[in-house]
Amino acid sequence: MNLKRVVALAAASAVALGATVAISTPSQAAAINYCKVTDLKTAGGMDALVKAAQKEGALNVITLPRDWANYGEAMDLFSKAFGIKISDDNPDGSSAYEIQTIKTAPAAKQPDVVDIGVSALNGVIGAGQDKLFSNYKVANFASIPSKWKDANGAWYGDYNGIIGIAYDASVSPAPTKIADLTNPAYKGLVALTGDPTAGQEPFMSVYAAALANGGSLDNIQPGLDFFKKIKASGNFTATKATPENYVAGAYKISLTWNFNAPGMIAGAKAAGKNLKFVIPSDGVVAGTPYIQAINAKAPHCAAARLWEEFMYSANKGKFTADLTAKDLKLSGSKLFSTIMGGQNIFVSGGATPILQDLLTKKGTLIDGPDGANVPKGAKVLQPSPDQQVAGKTLVAAQWPTL
Amino acid sequence: MTNTEASSLDRKGVPTWGTLTGRLVRVAVALLPLLAFMGIFFFAPLWAVIEASFQDNNGQFTLLNYTDVFKEPIATAMRTSLGLALASAVVSAIPGAVLAFLIESRGGDRLRQIIASISGVLANTGGVPLAFMFVAALGLEGSATGFLKAIGLDIYGTGFSLYTFWGLVLVYAYFQIPLMVIVFSPAIHGLRREWNEAAKTLGASGAQFWRHIGVPLLFPSFLSAFLLLFASAFSAYATARAMTNGTIALLPLMIGNLLDGNVIFDEVNLAKALAVAMVVVTLLAMVPYLIIQRRAQRWQQ
Repeated sequence: MNLKRVVALAAASAVALGATVAISTPSQAAAINYCKVTDLKTAGGMDALVKAAQKEGALNVITLPRDWANYGEAMDLFSKAFGIKISDDNPDGSSAYEIQTIKTAPAAKQPDVVDIGVSALNGVIGAGQDKLFSNYKVANFASIPSKWKDANGAWYGDYNGIIGIAYDASVSPAPTKIADLTNPAYKGLVALTGDPTAGQEPFMSVYAAALANGGSLDNIQPGLDFFKKIKASGNFTATKATPENYVAGAYKISLTWNFNAPGMIAGAKAAGKNLKFVIPSDGVVAGTPYIQAINAKAPHCAAARLWEEFMYSANKGKFTADLTAKDLKLSGSKLFSTIMGGQNIFVSGGATPILQDLLTKKGTLIDGPDGANVPKGAKVLQPSPDQQVAGKTLVAAQWPTL
Repeated sequence: MTNTEASSLDRKGVPTWGTLTGRLVRVAVALLPLLAFMGIFFFAPLWAVIEASFQDNNGQFTLLNYTDVFKEPIATAMRTSLGLALASAVVSAIPGAVLAFLIESRGGDRLRQIIASISGVLANTGGVPLAFMFVAALGLEGSATGFLKAIGLDIYGTGFSLYTFWGLVLVYAYFQIPLMVIVFSPAIHGLRREWNEAAKTLGASGAQFWRHIGVPLLFPSFLSAFLLLFASAFSAYATARAMTNGTIALLPLMIGNLLDGNVIFDEVNLAKALAVAMVVVTLLAMVPYLIIQRRAQRWQQ
């Protein structure tokens, strides 16, 4: 029996059923098929898009942790402003899970939008691949750097982060650079957020260690050597850096994305701990941006497009807590320009938004959280997708035998 | 016995062909849910995994996934996984067997029942909660670590770490020892008191009884329980995943990374080959387990 075929058949019949229902409902919404809409103009403008999205009333997102780049605020704000219920499937799941869900899940469980790593993207686009994503160009599409978007709008980069050092305030001396992690005072205290062959965050941490130890974006080997060295000296523990393990005292120093630091610091404070964060001065690596895309099988086509407009909005406006009942009565387009744009929400979470230049030019860039500044004179380096592929091959071959 | 059934027997009480097929149909109908369940949740996925393990990314037939199993770094993961399973089985089987013996020979009925229930719960404790329990107790700043330090035993100072090969063996013992108690107790229970008395009557010493009767009778059961523990540790996944970061290379974690990671996306079929390799290893452990178990049961009945 071919399971895949059975699932596909079930999905296809569900889609067909949905189509019959849609056709048999007479309404003027039939004038615009939002699943085919490729930009705000063909969507009939912001008012029409908001109205159509509100009519759908729901948005399926997938693998968005609330404390990751402040996605929690983004979801709350979108939900409250437009009255659209958001379901977040498997918040801690991986990019592979997102792709698998699109390929195999029944129609009702299909995500509308995805947020995936560049490595995951490489595996699903290009010749011979099924087209997983819908083309849609957000209003600010032209301002997205061309190397981080598909020319037709099938996918686009949204934000990235910089690897920094999160450390418990009790460690002495306080680390300021990656080379400090060899300090014998840190015995058993240094951890990564996971296996670099499985997670982008620990993988980029190995890159940061490479840059700090004479390596380059084309040469990740010194990073592997560095972790081998601090593993041998006992500083590097095999424990996984998670909020639970940190609170239990399993480690005190970890390498992590700057956009996860505000959430971690708040969580630590709630548990009675004092966590600090610093960008190392000897190896500053910026990750490749995470990628947004609209699922070609999205069950809520208008809400999916409105979500992308919101995520790429360069506006400076109100957060969820500041929205008043009066604001909620505004027309769709006025409401849209009243709320904080998604790009600034990333900033509030400590991430670097892909439209940073546009925000700066428009003067709408808000202040990010404290303590996450790149040290003066340090150069921020970002691997290209090809460099990343070369790096991961080396890491996958050596990490298990480190 | 209903009338319809009685009437379908011939005069000598031998069932006619009609009843035989009827019976077969009834058995088949009764088994159908089980067969359907096994088919959908066991055989179909197993076949899908085996099929994909012989394909490359373009769906063409290949054996490369299997030759990779014997190359680094997978070879290391295979060795570590086998080593961990063996160490865990050795470390847990012996105390588990002793515990089972003490409970069965010295304990009353009530104690036996209580221990059986507790073992049932503990043997099924695993995953993230188990990992966290140990981190909170025996981690760098764990409560037990702190207590030991207070009475003068700095375990981390002596080089101990929970996040090592032996740390995992220790954590696994938490569910492996109770599992041993559960599977080994019936064997001890089946060792009849009369045999011991008979041996003593014929002049055997306690040691002679154990040497010639007790241990030879219990050994097959011990071996089969040992194999079960081996398979259990070999396939454990969630605990190790929650505790470690891949520097202790384990086969199940490697499969997880290849299937559900954020970094490597083009080696899904290799993961399937690794899964088949794990199935083979588990079969190698479980087939002798079943054979020995059947032999051991002969005298237990």
